[in-house]
Amino acid sequence: MSVLSADARREFEIHRYPALIYALVPVLAVVLQAWLPRVLGRFAWFDLPLVITVFFALSRRNPIQGSILGGVLGIFEDALSGHPIGINGIAKTLVGYLAATIGILVNVENHAVRLVMTFVLSLVGSATYFFVIRFLLGMSVDTNWMSELYKAFGNSVIALVLFPVLDRTKIRD
Amino acid sequence: MESFVVRYRNLLVLLALLVAQILGLAMQVRRANSGQGDGQEVRLIRLWANGIVSPPEKILHNTGSGISWIWNNYFYLRHVREQNADLQKTVDRLRLEQAALLEDAKQGQRLQALLNFQQKYIYKTLPAEVIGTSGTEQSRVFTINKGKKDGIDRDMAVITPDGIVGKVRDVFGHTAQVLAINDQTSGAGVIMESTRIRGILRGNAQGRPEIVDVISDQRIKAGDKVLTAGGDQIFPRGLPVGVVEKVMNDPERDGFVDVILKPAAHLDQLDEVLVITATEPEFSKEQQQDIATSEALKGAEAEKQKTSEGMAEKLPGLVDPNLPADQQPLNDTSNPNPVSRPPMAIHPDRFTPENTTPSGGATQDSGQAVPRKPQPSKPANQSSPVPAPQGDKQ
Repeated sequence: MSVLSADARREFEIHRYPALIYALVPVLAVVLQAWLPRVLGRFAWFDLPLVITVFFALSRRNPIQGSILGGVLGIFEDALSGHPIGINGIAKTLVGYLAATIGILVNVENHAVRLVMTFVLSLVGSATYFFVIRFLLGMSVDTNWMSELYKAFGNSVIALVLFPVLDRTKIRD
Repeated sequence: MESFVVRYRNLLVLLALLVAQILGLAMQVRRANSGQGDGQEVRLIRLWANGIVSPPEKILHNTGSGISWIWNNYFYLRHVREQNADLQKTVDRLRLEQAALLEDAKQGQRLQALLNFQQKYIYKTLPAEVIGTSGTEQSRVFTINKGKKDGIDRDMAVITPDGIVGKVRDVFGHTAQVLAINDQTSGAGVIMESTRIRGILRGNAQGRPEIVDVISDQRIKAGDKVLTAGGDQIFPRGLPVGVVEKVMNDPERDGFVDVILKPAAHLDQLDEVLVITATEPEFSKEQQQDIATSEALKGAEAEKQKTSEGMAEKLPGLVDPNLPADQQPLNDTSNPNPVSRPPMAIHPDRFTPENTTPSGGATQDSGQAVPRKPQPSKPANQSSPVPAPQGDKQ
């Protein structure tokens, strides 16, 4: 993982994707996140909206876009959960911002780097989520960190498979 | 100033987004604490999210169901004819039983109305399929494929044949969100079957249903059945909720315990549920016919009973309905035919029993024999005071 200078950063390619991908992939992620736990039960150790947020934030390398995409996907999840809207929103806004900011600083084309980043950002997202629930809302929450580790690992594996597939849809100059 | 904004543009946007969401959360929590529920804007967001997510979710669900249907109906048909015949017999029998029960329930409801006490009975349920979840572990909300257009309304009870599941939280056109009983924000009135201790059921942080606000009681034991109490105006009374798994001291209040339950319904593996859409009687033609048959059968039974009661009245009985149980003639061990003795004569003469040979007992004018203690023989002309009559010693 190499930290680059400002000049080198400018040389980085900013990936662009067809509008359909921007619209379809996040919606599909939310739909699958709502549907798959019904099939997999308690083994649904993944957070697809978070993976998609990380992917687009890294690809676009734009913290504002990353924050907004993360916020919108998080709010979508909150709307389906029955809990107050904004819990997941805050967590994923932060994840989107961090992913895009790191994407500017670090070369994230390497698969291993993506895997580690997804893992770490998943844990950051979980920590933010629990912080909001516990300290901002005062709700009691079962902080099972093993489960969050499994989830972070699951997100990393999905990212490892999904990112190259989505990379193939990018618009080439 | 401009350079500051440009330089820290990204950070400022992040802060703005975070502050906006925190403010939004604060407003929602304030509304929730004042018991107002979701505001118009929040409800709109939920509606949009559901409108976008539900159609593809339904497609996925229907595709899965279709594959399952093809498998079950074409590749897995064995012994179906025999099973069908058996089930048809069972259905015929159960229809009559159900009609009799409905009749009894109607009568019970009439009596309760007389007592000014309302209790809900299940009269109509709508089957629905679970098509999605909330997607997060901390929220026990799921989506069903029936909505407002199917007659679903907010706060309707959702059950399975095993036990209660939850209540309808939000209703949309063709879908509805159900809040499960193991969610932290849920609530239901429950009662323990054996001890009759009442409490409020809600989910804990681990997603287990528990009864809170229960005063510590030695009688509460693992394995006790828990039923709905019927006081919450959502769940009808007497539906199974679960069994007591363990009892834990309330960490926040001394003298109170939290009763952790094992839910009767399989909350983690829900496929089909029933929504209770009506608690008022609405009988179909078939049901009305069944009730008429049941009533006719009951009438014949009543006629038989009446005849036997008439016969019983004519025959001597050992049970007197006007006497308490301990004074029933059946329980009387004393001599049923006490020896009758004539009363003492006021003016004894030669015909008084004491002065005659004991050839037989005499009766009183009234014809009723009043037994007396045997008296020692006295001369006929003795004018000593006559001993006072004594009552029966039976």
